[in-house]
Amino acid sequence: MRNLTLYACLVLCFLLVDSAQAESASAIRIGSKKFTESVILSEMITQHLQSNNISATHKDQLGGTRLLWKALVQGELDIYPDYTGTIIYEILQGDAISSDADIKTALARYGVSMTDPLGFNNTYALGVTPSTARRLSLEKISDLRQYPELRFGFTNEFMDREDGWPSLRGHYQLPQTAVRGLDHDLAYKGLEAGSIDLIDLYSTDAEIAYYQLSVLEDDANYFPDYRAVILYRTDLLDRVPEVQTYLTQLDGIISETEMIKMNSDVKLDGYSEAEVAQSFLKVKFNTLSEIKVSTRLDRLITTTSEHLFLVCLSLGAAILVAIPLGIWGARNSTTGQVILSVVGIIQTIPSLALLVFMIPLLGIGGPPALVALFLYSLLPIVRNTLSGLTGLPVDVQESARALGLPPAAQLRLIELPLAAPSILAGIKTSAVINVGTATLGALIGAGGYGQPILTGIRLDDTSLILEGAIPAAVLALLVQWSFDFAERTLLSPGLQRKQESTS
Amino acid sequence: MIQLRDISKSFNGNEVVHNLSLEIPQGKTVVLIGPSGCGKSTLLRLMIGLLWPEKGSISLFQKELSKSNVENLRQQVGFVLQDGGLFPHMTAVQNMRLMADYLQHDPKKIEDRIAELCELTHISSDLLKHYPGELSGGQVQRVALMRALMLDPQILFLDEPLGALDPLNRVSLQEEMKTIFSRLGKTVVLVTHDMGEAASLADLIVIMKDGYLLQYDTLSNLSAQPADPFVTEFINAQRKPWQQLEDQIK
Repeated sequence: MRNLTLYACLVLCFLLVDSAQAESASAIRIGSKKFTESVILSEMITQHLQSNNISATHKDQLGGTRLLWKALVQGELDIYPDYTGTIIYEILQGDAISSDADIKTALARYGVSMTDPLGFNNTYALGVTPSTARRLSLEKISDLRQYPELRFGFTNEFMDREDGWPSLRGHYQLPQTAVRGLDHDLAYKGLEAGSIDLIDLYSTDAEIAYYQLSVLEDDANYFPDYRAVILYRTDLLDRVPEVQTYLTQLDGIISETEMIKMNSDVKLDGYSEAEVAQSFLKVKFNTLSEIKVSTRLDRLITTTSEHLFLVCLSLGAAILVAIPLGIWGARNSTTGQVILSVVGIIQTIPSLALLVFMIPLLGIGGPPALVALFLYSLLPIVRNTLSGLTGLPVDVQESARALGLPPAAQLRLIELPLAAPSILAGIKTSAVINVGTATLGALIGAGGYGQPILTGIRLDDTSLILEGAIPAAVLALLVQWSFDFAERTLLSPGLQRKQESTS
Repeated sequence: MIQLRDISKSFNGNEVVHNLSLEIPQGKTVVLIGPSGCGKSTLLRLMIGLLWPEKGSISLFQKELSKSNVENLRQQVGFVLQDGGLFPHMTAVQNMRLMADYLQHDPKKIEDRIAELCELTHISSDLLKHYPGELSGGQVQRVALMRALMLDPQILFLDEPLGALDPLNRVSLQEEMKTIFSRLGKTVVLVTHDMGEAASLADLIVIMKDGYLLQYDTLSNLSAQPADPFVTEFINAQRKPWQQLEDQIK
């Protein structure tokens, strides 16, 4: 009976995933990278389409260029904004490209189209604090050659981009070796705190003015143009032909000053991206799109349900798979070793990498996150099931056989109940790890408590970070407590006494 | 009742039972005895298919033991281990009822049988509500014996059932077992290394050494016509301390 309920729940969950996907499949899906400007631009595109009665959803702050590009090519997204320099050097690396027409031709091979530029150029730049600039008389990037001791902090993307640090270093013959990768929004804090001396900037960053940073002149013309454009799947025009008209309306309408102002409104003055995009569209098109204003409680309910969905479904599936695997492994020591090695190797794959590996197979959003969490949950349960079963006292195993119980009944009546404390402990470990790892799901659009944490880091908003971090910690504790409770109620009192006397 | 024909058994290439044949008649209590490592416990496990011989055959109730009928045959015999082998996650009574419940016997009959066994082993039904961890060594062995007798088996196998008990408990349970065996008239195969226990319980004694059966006879015949000097040596070894004491008193 209990098994039936469990299966019913799982089927229900799968249906929910399915229907959620079906819903987003009918609307145009617009993605954004995990920095403010990208979120504002995508919000603008979304609202502009919506106010023209086209169904559109914004999947916000999904990750970096490669992730968004993959998702677009795979058909997980229909539209996202990017920059010409990024497209040339990061996406189309290696192709000889000298004009926008060349870019369009190259993109067409992937079934992707590009709009004309939105108006502003958001190039890379290098910045230092005014005091560093004064102290070392730094004005140009080439001045850096004289100071090999300077510590650089670059975005992880800039660290290994085609147009990033490695070729910048070659271009300017820079000697610095203390170079590390870090999150762009945290880089400003590091610079201010003095733990790094120089960071990469986006020229439309609001923080440049806020921190009065000195931007070093690109005197050897290294950085290309990064004019903002919109990328969209060419087949979108077959589905919704009028989209082209509305996307074209955005050509050339955002100046550099306007973009810096909008970034500043969000990052420094605390407006939401939706509000900023809304007021910009009102000025330009005199339309007023509806935006959902969500209270903290609304968000908490959404993120909690998303998080619970990820954890419960992935853990439930892991239990159903891992316990049989553990039983199988316990029957034969060679099989057991193979199973343990395989799930052990899965465990060593860094979680972010595993999430990204899943995208070509499962797209973005809930499914890849569920599969990754499922894979991570296997090891503790498999290992504890296996060790729980193989570690049973010999006399107990012998007397179970000697009674004449068939193997299946021995397993059900004797071995599994006796291994239950170990199996339950494995499930508890998996569940607690799962609650923490699920916060990373936000990076690929699966939502959950990671979403406010991610946004909070981007906006340097501690209360928003806590809005994700505190519930995640509370949930981990609740999971821990509920398993402690389950141990007391589910396990045979005969086993608990034994545990007490041995502990 | 039990027949072993030309049995050999090895572990990791070491033969521990050599070409051994033995026939155990119905209703008798047969004790397998010998020094540690003589193969007596191995022989017991071979008889209920917990181990399988490389050579030879074993029959219970005139049926040759095979992997296909072993579970069925095990349900017709009882087995008691040195530490009882009770399942710690079940209460004493759950341990006893396990097989009867699994085989879906009539609950009323199960209750009656439990009451009968309580009376036989002098265990109160209240005590049966406890988990094995809460029982004394002697109580555990009594419950293990009750579990083994639950389905009223024709044969009872016991592997050093008194080995883990203190001397006082040992003597009293030994006396009780003697009464129980004679009351029930079952075929009993008991492994021990204690000659006193063998002398008290056995109708027939099997003396083993290094995997060989040295002699299979009554105690008086073992004493009067030993087949091997070791037989006399083994019997006398355990008598010696007492004899010396008696000589001193005289």
